[in-house]
Amino acid sequence: MTFFTIVLRSLTRRPVRTCLTLVGISIGIAAVVALVGMAWGYEKGIGKQLDVMGIDVVVSNMSGGLMPKVFDESLQNEVSKLPRVAAVTSALMQMLSVEDAPIMMISGREWGGFAWDKLKVMSGRLPIDGNEKAVVLGHLAAEVLKKKVGDTVQIESEELAVVGIVDGQAMVENGTVFLPLKVMQEVTGNQGKINFVDIQVPPNSPKSEIELLCKDIKVIFPEGRAMIASEVVGTSQGFRVARAMSWSTSLLAIIVGVLGVMNTMLMTVFERTHEIGILLAVGWRKSRIVCMVLYESALLGLLGGIVGVTLGAVGLLILGSSPGIRGFLEPDLSPKLMIISIAIAVVVGIVSGLYPAWRSSRLSPSVALQS
Amino acid sequence: MVAAAPTIPGELIYEAIGLKKQFDNGKVMALRGLDLEIRQGEFVAIIGQSGCGKSTLLQMLGCLDRPSEGTLNYRGTSIPDMRDPAAYRAHQIGFVFQSFHLLPTFTVLENVQIPMFEGKLSRSQRKARGIELLESVGLGHRLSHYPSELSGGERQRVAIARGLANRPSVVLADEPTGNLDSESAVQIIDLLLELHGKLGVTLVLVTHDLSVAERASRTIRMKDGRVISDKVAASH
Repeated sequence: MTFFTIVLRSLTRRPVRTCLTLVGISIGIAAVVALVGMAWGYEKGIGKQLDVMGIDVVVSNMSGGLMPKVFDESLQNEVSKLPRVAAVTSALMQMLSVEDAPIMMISGREWGGFAWDKLKVMSGRLPIDGNEKAVVLGHLAAEVLKKKVGDTVQIESEELAVVGIVDGQAMVENGTVFLPLKVMQEVTGNQGKINFVDIQVPPNSPKSEIELLCKDIKVIFPEGRAMIASEVVGTSQGFRVARAMSWSTSLLAIIVGVLGVMNTMLMTVFERTHEIGILLAVGWRKSRIVCMVLYESALLGLLGGIVGVTLGAVGLLILGSSPGIRGFLEPDLSPKLMIISIAIAVVVGIVSGLYPAWRSSRLSPSVALQS
Repeated sequence: MVAAAPTIPGELIYEAIGLKKQFDNGKVMALRGLDLEIRQGEFVAIIGQSGCGKSTLLQMLGCLDRPSEGTLNYRGTSIPDMRDPAAYRAHQIGFVFQSFHLLPTFTVLENVQIPMFEGKLSRSQRKARGIELLESVGLGHRLSHYPSELSGGERQRVAIARGLANRPSVVLADEPTGNLDSESAVQIIDLLLELHGKLGVTLVLVTHDLSVAERASRTIRMKDGRVISDKVAASH
């Protein structure tokens, strides 16, 4: 028999209560995995999209809602004249409901811009020119919309022909509907407007040079912001809000888990007052009793964490394949998230056990024996 | 006044002077200035009516409770002021209680090993000593049974084995036969006497059963929280 045997025996003596506590904590951890996994997946997806498109600097005005505010397309010309700029393209991107699909990314891209270069045609073709009233679909978008080449797609009030299905090489790209910028401006009533200017800098440009370029852009576009692509996810207000929301919702779930474990451990300590008295009488130190209670609660946390991560991962996979999300973001099921979640569960267990452990350490052996 | 403790060879291990214990803010006086000496190797029976303070005294001797006033020393060290009372209880004392106080979710062998966690024995050493102790109390065939599967006498044997787990120098037994039938009671006292003789432990036994007390080498009678007589048996 080891000390761990004693700890384990305490948890198995009331299996139903232990299982209910595990359910409580695992729901909390599953919520962490699902919510944070979605938020991280969204960030990763955007990061990968920018990477695949070969964008070094993004110019936008993020003070709007979910998508940046529109601004005049003349900014693209001004930016292209700045030093340290190798190539510039512009886009008008919106998240719109398309036919039966809830929300999809619709990307109107300047015809001939480098953003079209990375799309690999899987079937059909790309638009002939910037005026053709046609769309190409990322293959996940085609799947969600159940469309093939030759069908039509209704965006706002316009019926547009599907002329190609493409592989965008990133989840967000694959879930996007692409069309020429001019057509997008007409369809959405934003003539002459864009909401992104994407910039490529000369290869191997040092970061300091790119930062100078961002400053130059700020001068000519004071209401907007130029961001280095690799820092978009980390600094964007939208991503920060998404991250904060996912963590704060998770925190609520975790607090419920803490209360559940604390309740169980308090019940355990109260129920076992007599037993603790016996342990003290046979010479156990109070610190060993405290360790026993804390190990029990930590073990509850660990088991709850493992079950919670499993539940969360399954939930995330189901969410990731649901029509509203598929093609829009790729849930992040990284080992980092799983380890963090299990670590949170163990910490939750230990924190929940602190008060019950303190209570147990204050028991007088003679009083405890008489209980 | 209490008669002076009989002279018995052996080191003085317990010394109580003017020991008092109050409960309920002084409304209950369990001990009222008790004086006592106990020497190494004695078998002392403490007798008296219910409420005379004998169990309270045993709890003081075992450092389970603190006196309200007075001096109580173990081998010259003040018990209430011990820096590590748990170590004293773990290594110097073995407790045997009237209601056994075994842990119901642990087997007999596991119950006996529980005090050994405060020692430096390895897992296999703990197990080996547990088996040895249980064999010595005649329960070698009951190792994997749970307390609920044993008779009262057998449970008390397990409790005695547990009390001896860390080879203490003193066994404090609080009414060890109180919950047993007369036959089991005789067997338990026989066993305690045998272990006392074999191991040389000091045995302090609280009882209200005179037939049990008669087998001790010394009998202390208590009344109203004081020692009223202290006699060494003629045969000793």
